Amino acid sequence: MASADGKHRIVARRRMPAPREIVYEAWTDPEGMREWMCPGDVLSAEAVLDVRVGGSFRIVMKSKTQVHEHTGTYQIVDPPAKLAFTWWDAKIPADITLVTVEFVPHGDESELVITHDRFTDSDLARRYETGWGTIARKFADYLESGHTRKQPPRSA
Amino acid sequence: MVEHTESAELDRVFSALADPTRRAILRALTRHPATINEIARPFPVSLNAVSKHVMVLERAGLLHREIRGREHHCRIEPRPLREADTWMKYYRHFWEVRLDALVVYVDKKFKAAKSKRGAAHGVR
Repeated sequence: MASADGKHRIVARRRMPAPREIVYEAWTDPEGMREWMCPGDVLSAEAVLDVRVGGSFRIVMKSKTQVHEHTGTYQIVDPPAKLAFTWWDAKIPADITLVTVEFVPHGDESELVITHDRFTDSDLARRYETGWGTIARKFADYLESGHTRKQPPRSA
Repeated sequence: MVEHTESAELDRVFSALADPTRRAILRALTRHPATINEIARPFPVSLNAVSKHVMVLERAGLLHREIRGREHHCRIEPRPLREADTWMKYYRHFWEVRLDALVVYVDKKFKAAKSKRGAAHGVR
């Protein structure tokens, strides 16, 4: 199912109290990203960013109970106006979504528009299958190794 | 708030799936429903531990349990993972929270840059 209908798309916009150059830098500087990607119960965030078209990034957020890993590849790098990158969430392995970030100037301030796209039902179904396929293989491996360990020769 | 409740639900799903034993339990249940004893058989952990895993999966809405006499019959409930809606709700909240943090960060940066400029002007 394509998201061209706008149905499987999230748009979030926010007025930023700084010119877009500063906001753009916050998205492309790993130090900055580590700070603002760490809200709420997220205790730490690591960010490795290779900001160029075709370059990739990795952001790992850790909370008390969870590790949340995101990776992707930059598709559009147009400073200080626009960034677009694929977004892969380690918890949903078969699905790759697309995030576009636009920096719109408003004098001394700016507006940020995030469009998160390509959420699809069919992919979700497929990801579900793929996820379980991988788990099934791991499960089989586990059973094999578990059996050899759990049934040692009785002579001892 | 509705967003918060949905986010809490998704957090429960993610936490439940973060554990390899729980994923293996779900995987086993995709083949056929099973009792807790049957589920526990292949695992090198106690029945009690498996029972706790089952409870976590149940709270996340990923497993349905039916009690018949002394037997607890479990089946998988994949709905929480199927809907694009679910992930969209999760990420809507994800970005909103990060935008709030970004506003704070950017404000701090801009004020620091301005006062630096102000100080430089003050000297001359």
